[in-house]
Amino acid sequence: MKISRNWLQNFFDTPLPSAEALAEALTFHAFEIDGIEEKNADYILDVKVTPNRGHDCLSHRGIAAELSAILKLPLNKAKDPFAKTPDFSKKTDAVTVTIENPELCPRYIAGYIKNVSVGPSPEWLKSNLESIGQRSINNVVDATNLVMFNTGQPLHAFDAAKLKTENEKLNIGVRLAREGEEMEALDKKKYALKNSMLVITAGDRPVGIAGVKGGMADRIDESTKEIVVESATFDGVSIRKSAQALKLRTDASTRFEQVLSPELAAYGMQQVVELIAAIAGGELVGSVDAYPAPPEPARASVTVDKINKVLGTALTGAAVADVFVRLGLPYKEEAGVFEVQPPAQRLDLEIAEDLVEEVGRMVGYDKIPATPLPVYEKQPEVSSTFYASEKKREELTAQGYSEVYTSVFTEAGERAVANKVDSVRPYLRDSLLPGLTDALAKNKPNKDLLGLKEIKLFEIGTVWKGGEELVMVGKVSESEKASEEPLVPLEADQYEDLPLSAATRYKTFSKYPYMVRDIALWAEGPEAAEGLQQTIKTEAGELCVRVDLFDRFEKPGRTSLAFRLIFQSFEKTLTEPEVNEVMEKVSATLKGQGFEIR
Amino acid sequence: MEGNTGGKTPQAHARGHLHPISSLIREANQIFLRMGFTLAQGPLLESEWYNFDALNFPTDHPARDMQDTFFMKDEPGMVLRTHTSAAQIRYPEKQLAAGVPPPYRAISIGKVFRNEATDVTHEAEFFQIEGLAIGEGVTLAHLKGTLTEFFSKIFQGSAEVRFRPSFFPFTEPSVEVDMRVTGTSAPEKLRDRWIEIGGAGMMHPNVIKNAGLDPQKYQGFAFGCGLDRIAILRWGIDDIRLMHSADLRFVNQF
Repeated sequence: MKISRNWLQNFFDTPLPSAEALAEALTFHAFEIDGIEEKNADYILDVKVTPNRGHDCLSHRGIAAELSAILKLPLNKAKDPFAKTPDFSKKTDAVTVTIENPELCPRYIAGYIKNVSVGPSPEWLKSNLESIGQRSINNVVDATNLVMFNTGQPLHAFDAAKLKTENEKLNIGVRLAREGEEMEALDKKKYALKNSMLVITAGDRPVGIAGVKGGMADRIDESTKEIVVESATFDGVSIRKSAQALKLRTDASTRFEQVLSPELAAYGMQQVVELIAAIAGGELVGSVDAYPAPPEPARASVTVDKINKVLGTALTGAAVADVFVRLGLPYKEEAGVFEVQPPAQRLDLEIAEDLVEEVGRMVGYDKIPATPLPVYEKQPEVSSTFYASEKKREELTAQGYSEVYTSVFTEAGERAVANKVDSVRPYLRDSLLPGLTDALAKNKPNKDLLGLKEIKLFEIGTVWKGGEELVMVGKVSESEKASEEPLVPLEADQYEDLPLSAATRYKTFSKYPYMVRDIALWAEGPEAAEGLQQTIKTEAGELCVRVDLFDRFEKPGRTSLAFRLIFQSFEKTLTEPEVNEVMEKVSATLKGQGFEIR
Repeated sequence: MEGNTGGKTPQAHARGHLHPISSLIREANQIFLRMGFTLAQGPLLESEWYNFDALNFPTDHPARDMQDTFFMKDEPGMVLRTHTSAAQIRYPEKQLAAGVPPPYRAISIGKVFRNEATDVTHEAEFFQIEGLAIGEGVTLAHLKGTLTEFFSKIFQGSAEVRFRPSFFPFTEPSVEVDMRVTGTSAPEKLRDRWIEIGGAGMMHPNVIKNAGLDPQKYQGFAFGCGLDRIAILRWGIDDIRLMHSADLRFVNQF
């Protein structure tokens, strides 16, 4: 989520450290930071909020609370939207709320506000929203958005006059859509609704796709004078499915699908009512709070002993208490047992291990020592399949076969995947042979470049055949057709000590074609080969990537040596004249040294 | 390229080359074996139970979106495994079936799948190493110690391990693992830099329970690292797609 440093500053009396310092604090104690952008005298942090913290941290207040705990900077109570208990004592009879599916909508608060004047937002509000990439629409809509990005509670404002039915009633309903129902949303697109999707209705007419997007017909515009603000809680799975089915993921649906506390709805409503009054005037006629079954406040307990036993630390009760205080987690402590009552939005804190994590990350994982495991009193087992595959590897490499891995995906087979993003080759292979045969063909042209007399390949890989998953050993070479056999597991008491790759560094190879030239000459004896190879290499220059002695025969008193030169460039395809020129130079030098070229 | 030619005739029966991933698997197994870990392999085509549910992934939860899963056509409930983490369930289950109680130490190494477009740093098929230790006194500090030993050995230097907070449904606490290798024997490009290398944490009590063990009595650590990434870092490989290229211009360098 995009988080503005200036916005965060609102929560603190003391000046915040630099954006880099904030990023570092979050990185090592809370969340990864995907980037920092400097923008209009502000810094925007892209905070990668983890799925377990979507309940509270897809909001500036959530990130501010994290920073408060990490940097030990107190939150300014007057600016904290969660500091004041919401008060909905002012009721109204003008609005009714009926929830048909309370399991999908545990809470719906409607606030009815009259005499608002819709217009442009004040500059501070525009700039706050624009800093995090949001567009300013008008003061009322902007107020709902600001409160969402501030508290994490999505909100929606309807034009109350448009919601009203003929008899001037404001009857709001929450129900599943009926097959065939349609609604034009604020993006001006018409959506066909399904009976799995929750909708908001006014006099039974759909006016919003619950938790996803509001309807066009009841939008706020310049003429709007009275509004109904919605602050509600919807079931995460239901909203996720609606958004997926409609291909309409919104800032609201993203938050609902991570599951929000119904308690949060009250704080969101409280803040938006105050903000609208401040920037768009209007008076709260009253509110309706449909909240049939408020959940019991959650509690989680952990002992200091448990914390140390999981983390491998020696923290004291005081250190643990300090973490809970900094995080704003009220607790009771008795005989080393901490019973924490997390604030409603911290739905992630359920079990002891959750609290262990809070302590671990706040104390800092750099405080965790690197302790070796104690000596294991049991004997590790030898895997019969791995033992067998290692034996095969050794056997085949000793015979000159090199190992390849090829893709399990192919164009035909018994079984297929349903949703491959690139949609090509969706089948799972039932044999290693086609992959090996392709690999052979692909490598053959590089034989000289590789300095090989013959390409020989093997693969030990999984196939799916006859309803089973099997590991096969396949091989192929230029002188034999590809063949495969199932890997037969072998029992053993211990693994054999087999060689590891001695490579130190991989060198990128050229993508351009190479050229081959041979040169043969008479030397006095075979011992001249090494020196000649070096001479040829030096004379041929950097375009010559390898020189191999590929043939040799003896006549009385002299030896014929034949060398193969491979030419290749990293920059281009070499031409015949270029290579011939080099070869002439090599010949001339050798002749000059008294060798007879054959 | 095959190191340049000592003036020898290319031979039809020269020794072939091991794929770098196979060499790493061999080496990782040796390192972990010395620390008491058993190699235990699992199926590539896996049930959603082992790949997700047993690992504490809630149904229809955004956490599943993190995985980019290949689902099987006409085989509901079956996926290509997105990680080797099913070992956290399968290994204890197998031990319990054989009447062997904890402590356990196991690694699982093999191919995993992510349904994403491929480029120089992304492959739909890649290799992962999973490790787990379960017992009465296994701690996050032991995880740090174990990974420090593994990275020191596999990167041929002296490694330090750093944890950052993270989230995985199957671990609590969850951490991202960074490592830094020092020492002149370490690959030069790697030396003295912090590098993100994997995910880890303490096994979630629900996972311990789903594996058939009592979470009141046992706890454990688990980690997962990409082997392709280790290979890339160790040898300076510039394109992950080379791993499955079957190109000997690549393989024969190892």
